[in-house]
Amino acid sequence: MIKKIYLVGNPNVGKSVVFSRLTGVQVISSNYPGTTVELSRGYLSMAGERIEVVDLPGTYSLEPTSGAEEVAVSLLKEYPKDEIAVVNIIDSTNLERNLLLTLQLIEEGFPTIACLNMCDDAVHRGVHIDIKKLEDILHIPVIPTCAVTGVGIKLLIDRIKEVAPTPRVKFLHEERWKEIGLIIGQVQYLEHRHHSIREALEDASVRPLTGLMIAGGVIYVSFKIVRFIGEILINKIADPIFINLYQPVLERLTFNWQETGFWFHLLIGDLINGKIDFRQSLGVLTTAPYIEFGMVLPYVISFYFMLSLLEDIGYLPRLAILLDNVLHRLGLHGYAIIPILLGFGCNVPGILSTRVLESKRERFIASTIISIGVPCVPLQAMIFGLLGQFGGFYVGGVYLVLFLLILVLGSILNRTLKGYSPEFLLEIPPYRFPPMHMLGQKLYFRIRGFLIEAIPVVLIGVAAINILIYFNLFNIVSGIFAPVVHGLFGLPQEAIVALIIGFLRKDVAVGMLIPLGLSAKQLFIAATLLAISFPCVATFIVMWKELGLKDLIKSTLMMIAVSLIVGATLNFAILR
Amino acid sequence: MKKISLAQIRGNRKGKVIEILGGINLQSKLMNMGVYKGKEVTKLSHIGLQGPVVIKVGRSILALGHGIAAKVILEQE
Repeated sequence: MIKKIYLVGNPNVGKSVVFSRLTGVQVISSNYPGTTVELSRGYLSMAGERIEVVDLPGTYSLEPTSGAEEVAVSLLKEYPKDEIAVVNIIDSTNLERNLLLTLQLIEEGFPTIACLNMCDDAVHRGVHIDIKKLEDILHIPVIPTCAVTGVGIKLLIDRIKEVAPTPRVKFLHEERWKEIGLIIGQVQYLEHRHHSIREALEDASVRPLTGLMIAGGVIYVSFKIVRFIGEILINKIADPIFINLYQPVLERLTFNWQETGFWFHLLIGDLINGKIDFRQSLGVLTTAPYIEFGMVLPYVISFYFMLSLLEDIGYLPRLAILLDNVLHRLGLHGYAIIPILLGFGCNVPGILSTRVLESKRERFIASTIISIGVPCVPLQAMIFGLLGQFGGFYVGGVYLVLFLLILVLGSILNRTLKGYSPEFLLEIPPYRFPPMHMLGQKLYFRIRGFLIEAIPVVLIGVAAINILIYFNLFNIVSGIFAPVVHGLFGLPQEAIVALIIGFLRKDVAVGMLIPLGLSAKQLFIAATLLAISFPCVATFIVMWKELGLKDLIKSTLMMIAVSLIVGATLNFAILR
Repeated sequence: MKKISLAQIRGNRKGKVIEILGGINLQSKLMNMGVYKGKEVTKLSHIGLQGPVVIKVGRSILALGHGIAAKVILEQE
């Protein structure tokens, strides 16, 4: 009787895609090893019964050599072997490497079914596998599938119940590889192919000269595309909806309200020249939705579109190779670029994915760098929206300061922390071109996640601010911090409110700066400080969970010190 | 026949692994990814002087940090 189904396989063979197909539970999948850092669980209905399906982190072998692999292996041993079924997912384009784990699973007596995934890609690459012969040799069911299109999944489900332990002699690793060589010789036939354009590109992107040129091009073009899509969504969709549709309705509804009353203040905010100004009014029904839907959401969409595309194509590990040298000086290795890039979307998944790094030291450095030096999309969107009017110089300035900060901070941490930075060892996936519906699903999943998290916080946050302002409670707080904010950073006292709100949400915090009418210099300093200072509360909690209290405090103290130094330096030394 | 490490061998050259220096953990990590004694590997490229090395083993492309590459000793024809 099968009670649990485990999805086991090498990193980056498409386990998460198979998982989504089996359970209907959407999880993020990408074309690089280590996308799944948390266990996903879901249910599959089989013969009227609900069976739990667990998507395990990728592992090359049952003898674990890293934390993620240990998790996978120990979970496999949680239940008696006759109560589980192991679905071993195999990358058909690289059968040889995948078979090591398959043989181990069979040898250990796990009831196993093999799923030869990405079979369409294998055909494209001229790899032909004799399924029948492989079944005969391994004595387990072997199903060819293509999880992204759903081919073979039904057959896989039908045959899961056939699994049974198959007796097999245990081997040493080296003998196992020899045996795999023999099996490959019998079941795999490679069509002779000329180098395709795809392979030429795969090759060029890992060579120093062409690789750097491609990286430069990819980063530049990505940035342009994010800007382009973001601007279009704002100017052609969001703004017209807010100004032509929403504003008249809102004005009609509140026509009779007392402009000085509490509710008007809370929901609509202040009128600017007798009219609602979505950027400045600061009401729960005006500025709050405008910040999220009119300024931030367009960029969230365009950023995640581009990131998801790069992820699925498989470009990111190649970027990791090229940046390995630089990141080594920060005590990290090339693969740390993945958490950092995710951090540019939102710091929370960025810090979660630092789990792909092996040592605690690396995770500490990476998390600290992300929370201090990497601005999330909502913050960036607001910086563009606000500082952009003073010219690209200021926007570029914020990025330059943050970039230098990452370099300096990383080098200092690398030199002062005990330990060393480990070397990386990484499999580079081939380029793949995902079907658009996969990209669409992932984008939808991420945007929904953003909205669910952001909207309640923004609404409650703006409401709380308005209540505090209405009853003049902020003056007490701002009085205490005035010497620092005014004296050191050159910002008006009212900016304190924004800096404090930054702990809740960065985008709202920048929004709070709009009505203050700051100069370009002041805005520049405030925006930079918001990027550096307190990570928002969600990031804070994740860091606590991932690093522990002690390291969180260390990281926080560093953040405070850095904020003070950078704020004061920008105010006194650089900008006159 | 000459012995040479993966860090030293020139790009686009092949060699057979004859020894992996370093601890058992590194050896088994490489073993699990298909790099073991007797296996033929091709070096594709080397990023910068102290940068990572990219190799082809079977149908996989692997990137190894410079320090690891220096520990993989090949026999070059």
